[in-house]
Amino acid sequence: MSRLMRTSEIAALPVVTIAGDDIAQVKDVVFSADGGAVVGFTLAGRGLLSGPLKDALAWGNVRGLGPDAVVVDGPELLEPVDGVLAAARSTGVSTGSGGNVLGDRVLTDSGTDLGKVSDVVIEYDTGAGSPGGPCDVVGYEIEASDALKASTSGNAKNTRLLLPLPDTLSVSSEHVMVPASAEGFVSHDLAGFGAAVQAFRSQLKGES
Amino acid sequence: MLYSDLKGRKLVDTASADTVGKVDGFLLDPTTRSVVALEFKKTSHGSVVAWSDLTAVGADAVTIGSATVLSDHDERQADLASKDGEVLKKRVLSDAGEDLGSVRDVDLDPETGALVELVVGSKKEQQSIAGSRLLGVGSYAVVVAAE
Repeated sequence: MSRLMRTSEIAALPVVTIAGDDIAQVKDVVFSADGGAVVGFTLAGRGLLSGPLKDALAWGNVRGLGPDAVVVDGPELLEPVDGVLAAARSTGVSTGSGGNVLGDRVLTDSGTDLGKVSDVVIEYDTGAGSPGGPCDVVGYEIEASDALKASTSGNAKNTRLLLPLPDTLSVSSEHVMVPASAEGFVSHDLAGFGAAVQAFRSQLKGES
Repeated sequence: MLYSDLKGRKLVDTASADTVGKVDGFLLDPTTRSVVALEFKKTSHGSVVAWSDLTAVGADAVTIGSATVLSDHDERQADLASKDGEVLKKRVLSDAGEDLGSVRDVDLDPETGALVELVVGSKKEQQSIAGSRLLGVGSYAVVVAAE
């Protein structure tokens, strides 16, 4: 089974060992250079006054990620921040912005502005015991532009929409490029979004 | 046997037939998933009896062969008795990162002290988690394997 999650929900989650101790909390999500996957998390100490930690958590060492905590087998699985960040840089040849897309404008390849990225949606396997699989970036939550609002039916109040992403995409510090057909697969909530991503990606594969 | 039923049960010395204490707590070892000792109050000396030193855990009383088995916490027992080792009322977290509620009660095997079940949640929404799913008890949570 796989689970979808907004990355904003991960910030500040406690990192808990299976022995039941909270050893850190998530500070930031580290994306791969091409923005297509989560590589790991930078960490802060627990409590209001504790600052950032020198250790980070690579995605491969995560045992479980849920709405209430990140679970790891033991404190020895944290590793130096530099290692995790280097791993992130080595994942792509892109000269991108290190995967930080918040605030970027989403532009279709046909030149329509769909809106501004306000959150990132990830998908990962919740198979028993180990994380195993990758943590894929499958979509963005966007503050819809007027053009997109006009083209999607539904209530006009809801200006936050979920946009599915192709497997690979072009990201700069300014724009995220998506195929024009993505517009047809926007969702209003996470419930139906997994299916929309699947449909969108299989449609892309059909085209190529 | 629920711990809520065991709490307050009297401790009787079978040699003297005197009541020498009352059940006041339990020490659960998460690695063996069983209770290693019971804690008592109103005792004349010491407050802990190792599970293996109990003669019986009966419906009306816990019995011991002699009051000499009552002792103070040894190092391991003191660890389990600390706030980090406490189980009751602690948050329960699955290893998939989901908060399942807090521990309301524990179901123990009166013969062996093995943890049969954790009773988790509020009175309205109560769920039982098999003792075999217990992974650890720490400062933040009781961690159990996700289903």
